[in-house]
Amino acid sequence: MPAAAALKVLVVDDQNSVRQMTRLTLEQLGVRHIHEAANGRAAMDTASLQPLDLIISDFNMPEMDGLGLLRAVRGHPVARKVPFILLTGRGDRELVVTAAKAGANNYLIKPFTAAILREKIEQVMGKLS
Amino acid sequence: MASLEQLKQTFFDECAELLQDIEVGLTEMREGGASDETVNAVFRAVHSVKGGAGIFGFTGLVEFTHVFETVLDEVRHGGLAASADVIDVMLTASDVLSDLVTMSRSGEPIGAGYGEECRNALQHLIKVGDGGAAADDEGPAPADFEDFDFVPVPAEGFDAPEGAEAVTDGMRCYAIMFRPKPEMLKNANEPLYILRELRKLGELDLTAHVGLPPLSELEPDHPYIGWTGTLRSAATRAQIDEVFEFVVGDCELEIVEADPISVVTTMIEAVVWPADLALQDSPERDDVAAAPKVTPEMATSAKSADKAPGVQPTKPAATTTRVELEKIDRVVNMVGELVIAQAMLGQIVQGLPEDVSGRLAQMLEEVVFHTRELKDSVMSMRAAPVGSVFQRMPRLIRELAAKTGKKVRLETVGEHTEVDRSIIERLGDPLTHIIRNSVDHGIESPAERLAAGKSEEGTVRLAAEHRGGRIVIEVRDDGAGINPERVLKKAREKGLIGMDAVLSDEEINNLVFLPGFSTAEAISDISGRGVGMDVVRSNIQDVGGRITLKSERGRGMTIQLALPLTLAVMDGMVIKVGGETYVMPMPAIVECLRPSRGDVQNLVGSRGMLQLRGDLVPLVGLGDLLDVRSTPGAASDSVVIITEAGDESRFGLIVDELCGHQQVVIKSIEESYGSVPGIAGATILGNGRVAFILDVDKLSDLAVNEMSTVGSAGLAHAGSSGLAA
Repeated sequence: MPAAAALKVLVVDDQNSVRQMTRLTLEQLGVRHIHEAANGRAAMDTASLQPLDLIISDFNMPEMDGLGLLRAVRGHPVARKVPFILLTGRGDRELVVTAAKAGANNYLIKPFTAAILREKIEQVMGKLS
Repeated sequence: MASLEQLKQTFFDECAELLQDIEVGLTEMREGGASDETVNAVFRAVHSVKGGAGIFGFTGLVEFTHVFETVLDEVRHGGLAASADVIDVMLTASDVLSDLVTMSRSGEPIGAGYGEECRNALQHLIKVGDGGAAADDEGPAPADFEDFDFVPVPAEGFDAPEGAEAVTDGMRCYAIMFRPKPEMLKNANEPLYILRELRKLGELDLTAHVGLPPLSELEPDHPYIGWTGTLRSAATRAQIDEVFEFVVGDCELEIVEADPISVVTTMIEAVVWPADLALQDSPERDDVAAAPKVTPEMATSAKSADKAPGVQPTKPAATTTRVELEKIDRVVNMVGELVIAQAMLGQIVQGLPEDVSGRLAQMLEEVVFHTRELKDSVMSMRAAPVGSVFQRMPRLIRELAAKTGKKVRLETVGEHTEVDRSIIERLGDPLTHIIRNSVDHGIESPAERLAAGKSEEGTVRLAAEHRGGRIVIEVRDDGAGINPERVLKKAREKGLIGMDAVLSDEEINNLVFLPGFSTAEAISDISGRGVGMDVVRSNIQDVGGRITLKSERGRGMTIQLALPLTLAVMDGMVIKVGGETYVMPMPAIVECLRPSRGDVQNLVGSRGMLQLRGDLVPLVGLGDLLDVRSTPGAASDSVVIITEAGDESRFGLIVDELCGHQQVVIKSIEESYGSVPGIAGATILGNGRVAFILDVDKLSDLAVNEMSTVGSAGLAHAGSSGLAA
């Protein structure tokens, strides 16, 4: 049972507002260690240097998109086992299918509530305490 | 922690940028210079607006952006050709979207059916793109796929994701590792063609692995690249083998049909890439793949993987940071105070005995230098490219063209020219008005243009450049220009000039700047009522700018705005007249001189003309203009400052004394006193006293009056407004 307060989460989104909103929601769940990155490339830099427990990433981003990041993470010797939740819009079924194949652990449809975020994280990480 | 309200504001700020990206991208597409990346960037921007709008609960925005996004998706996937018509619909959509964002921001309810027409047009495009089939998800995609059988993969079990099995839908997944050997190139087999063939079979996702040996060992004809990845395809194994048929012996090849993730990851571990070879001597080599230990090599290998084809092209990472304008303003103010304190210090040092002041003055010199650097840096922080104003204009032109039925093209030049934000903020309205005028009154209808031997499409050119410490913005159209007879007639009718006044063409042109002047036979809803060119002129003059107009009948009109680069600090020359101290802006000063008696020719009245290197420059006493009692004396006893006003006319101002050059902080006096002709503002000098900053352009106007009415006392005087410091 992972303790929310001990989780190290990386939030990746090119939109600052969405990133902050995700951070706010995570904070509501008791998560305290939150890293942020504005695109896949920056996220990969963080992922190679920081021990992470979870990556929550948007799909549509400049430089390197969410799928690119997912593949880079899965191909990375250290970060490859970090659970990955893909943020997506409604109706992006194709994307979710592709992401699942590329090794995403779960997906999250924007907009989401704290309850849904918790549910999705727990499906991947086990019950949060 | 940021509040929800603050986050919303952040979102709207982002929207403003995204909308600009959309507009710029679409315009680029419209002009035909767009790459796939442009389309993608526009798509991403619209998608981002949609995503944020969803999160912050702006449903109206979500609905509209969804349709817009679907069209863009069709375009970027080639389902819909980006013809001019299609892009025009999208440009309109970007305008509607911009309105929707504005409404959402202000909390204004979005009227039912707002943007309906545009939305329908977009939806029509989706249908076209689908080859007649209706779009599968109109509106905000009611079909959520929460029920979709994505099995979340528990973290500990993701090496063998069951979820992946659930979504194979008849497609097979092959993990591929392909690394050409040198022989392959020698046998004239091109790896790229093989990858292309492979791509034809299905969805191909590859990561390139590049590993270069040290330069001394590099063989120029060897392929130092390999790929791993997956192919999702309905093709059989045999079909895939067929692609590699001719190169089988000339490359390392592994094709495995299986669950994608585990295979790929194990394969990546198994394959020793040339880059890794270099590490083999290192005792850490075995740890690289397995142990969670970060080495620089890993960072580089991760980076080289990033350069894989299929990943979007690399743009240099922007190293910018967002700072609230208010914070920068605070620094600007502090710099201003610093400039004043430093001037005071200078004054004190001057008053000290030589033996004490020597070294102090030297140090002060250094402080002055650094303050100037500091000022320049802060000012450049506040500066922004005028492009942000220019970017609003394409939409304006489109709307105007649609309303008037004219064909108009907008050209912009120099949108990267930087100027202080405070100026930019005040540029929007005047420019909008000038452009409206150009399209509404200047550019002719297509038929008229053809008849006049011009191209059907009119051009409005918007240009910005730095010139002599100012920014000059020019709006030029190739329309009909000003019709002097009509202007004259109108001015007479309105009693703006006497019935028998004889005016030069230039004077006639400038009549349009008179309050209450409007030549349009019928006032259209475009150029508006009430607001005329006089307001534009006073707006520009309020920020210390100057507006000039040139018109060529039948060829077009040019309106030029010359504005100061900043409103906060400037270089000034401190001068004295009749015991009063004033500051003259440095950019306006051409030269200062003490003329010899013979150089001054008295013509009419007492002032006369100055003979300056063959030219005659009219002289006028600053004391007379401002009505301060000047020490009586001829021009030859005083100092003459040759100034150049915005219209390039030169005249000599007679002053009593030059006190020196210094940076001054501009303080507005308009809030306290209203606008005073000839005075641009005030500043605090080193001695702590207030001095007025002169407005040279206005002084030039006053001087013209003075010269033409020597002896009369009918001028507006600063002194008579009770302003003497």
